[in-house]
Amino acid sequence: MSEGLNYKFLIDTFFIALSGVPVALLVTIVSLLIAIPLAFLLALTRIYRIPFIQRLAQVYVSFVRGTPIIIQIFIVYSSVPLILTALLKKYDIAMDVYKIHPIWYAFIVFSFSTTAILIEVFRSALSTVNKGQLEAAHSVGLTTYQAYQRIIIPQALVVALPNICTATVNLIKATSLGYAMSLQEITLKAKVAANVGYNYVEAYIDIFIVYLILCSVVEYGFKLYEKHLHKYKLADA
Amino acid sequence: MLSIKNVHKSFGNNEILKGVDLSIDKGDVVVILGPSGSGKTTLLRCLNFLEKADQGHATFGEIDVNLHDAKKKDIHAIRQKIAFVFQNYNLFNNKTALENVIEGLIIGRKVPKNEAIEIGKKALSKVGLTDKYDAYPSQLSGGQQQRVGIARAVALNPDIILFDEPTSALDPELVGEVLAVMKNIANEGTTMLVVTHEMSFAKDVANRVIFMDGGVVVEEGNPHEIFVKPKEERTKKFLKRVLPEDYSFFI
Repeated sequence: MSEGLNYKFLIDTFFIALSGVPVALLVTIVSLLIAIPLAFLLALTRIYRIPFIQRLAQVYVSFVRGTPIIIQIFIVYSSVPLILTALLKKYDIAMDVYKIHPIWYAFIVFSFSTTAILIEVFRSALSTVNKGQLEAAHSVGLTTYQAYQRIIIPQALVVALPNICTATVNLIKATSLGYAMSLQEITLKAKVAANVGYNYVEAYIDIFIVYLILCSVVEYGFKLYEKHLHKYKLADA
Repeated sequence: MLSIKNVHKSFGNNEILKGVDLSIDKGDVVVILGPSGSGKTTLLRCLNFLEKADQGHATFGEIDVNLHDAKKKDIHAIRQKIAFVFQNYNLFNNKTALENVIEGLIIGRKVPKNEAIEIGKKALSKVGLTDKYDAYPSQLSGGQQQRVGIARAVALNPDIILFDEPTSALDPELVGEVLAVMKNIANEGTTMLVVTHEMSFAKDVANRVIFMDGGVVVEEGNPHEIFVKPKEERTKKFLKRVLPEDYSFFI
C-alpha cells in the first residue's frame, strides 16, 4: 500500500473492469431500442398536440428529468418486487421475485429515463424541419408516412444526432449506477476486486479509463455517422 | 376539366375565402391577381388539400369531391392529377436536384427507377439545369431551386400545375429565368393556375386573368379585358396601384 500504486493489480483489474463492458453495452442498447421508437411516437404526439397523450408525455418528461437516476433506481428496484409479489400472489403463480436478474430492473430504469430525454431531443429536431417539406411531399403524392420516412426523419436526424450522441454517452455512464442494484457491470466488478486488498485507487483509475475508452469510441462512431449524414449540408459552409 | 364551386375557408374568425367559383379547361393558363390577403394562395392550397376548406365542391375530371371532408383515397387521387410549385420552393433538402424530381415518380406513382431517372433528366433539361443533377438545394441559387421545383412538378405529368407566387421569394435578377421557364411550359400546352404579382406574365402568357379581392372573385376575363378595359372599380384601383402609368404601352 505504501509503495504507491499496485501496478499488477491495476492491470489485472483493468481486464476485470473491461469484462463488465458487455453488460453496460447491453443495458445501453436495449434501453435505446426501447426508448427511441417510444420517444419518437411521444414526440409526435407533442408536435401534433394530441390532447391527452401529449400532456401525459409532458408530465412524464418533467418527472423523469426532475429526479436523479439513482433515486429512480432505488424506487424501481424496491417497489417493483413488491408489486410483482402482490400480483403473483393474486394470480397464484409460484415464482421468487428476488431471483429476477437485476439487469431487468436496469432495462426498466434506463429505458424510462432515456425515453424522457429523447422525447425532447426528437421534438426539437422535428420542429426544425420546415412544414413546407411535408407539404411538398404530399404534393408529389407521398403519404404522410412516406414523407416522414424519406424526407422528414432524415433531415431531423442530422439535427438530433449530436443530442442522441450525448444521451447515449450519458446512458453508458449512468449504467455505472447499476452497481446499486448489484448489476455486474464495469463499476461493480472493479469495486468487488478492490475490496479484497483495499486497492480502491487502482480500481477507480481502471473504471475511469474503461468508461473513457468506451465513451470515446461511441462518440467517434457518432461523429463518423454525422459526417455521412451531413453530406447534403456541406455546401453551405 | 377542373371546376370548383362555393369554396369557403376561415382561419379562426378571419374569413379568407367567401365562396369562390372557378373553372379551368385543358390547356388554360389562368393567372389569379389580387392584393395580399385576398385569398389567392389559400384557394390554391385548398385545391390541393394542403388546407382543408370549410365548404366547397370540386370536380377534377371524373372525380367529384367535397373539399371539406374528402376521403383519403380521393385526396390521394386528386393529388396525383395536380402538381404544386411553392413560393419558397420547398425542395427536399436531403435530396439532390434529380432525386427531388424523381421522388414523387418513384414513391408516389410507382414508376420504375430507370424510367423515372430518364423522365427526371428530361424535366431538368427543360428548365435548363442539365449540369445540376447532383446538386443539393443548398448548393443552388433561389432561381435554380425554383426551376428544380418546376421540373419536379412537370415530371409528374400532371393534368394541372398550381403555381403559388413562384417568383415572390426570388431576388429581382432571378425572376426572369423562372418566368421564362414557366412561359416555355405554358407554350407546350400545360394547364396552369398561377398566383403571381408579375403583371407581364399575366399579360403575355395567360389566356384568362382572375382578379380576386376580399375572398371573392371580383372580375375575370382575358388579359385584354382585365388590363385594358376593367369593368369593376376595385380592379381598376388595384391595377392603378401595381402598374406603371403607361401600362397600356406594354400590350
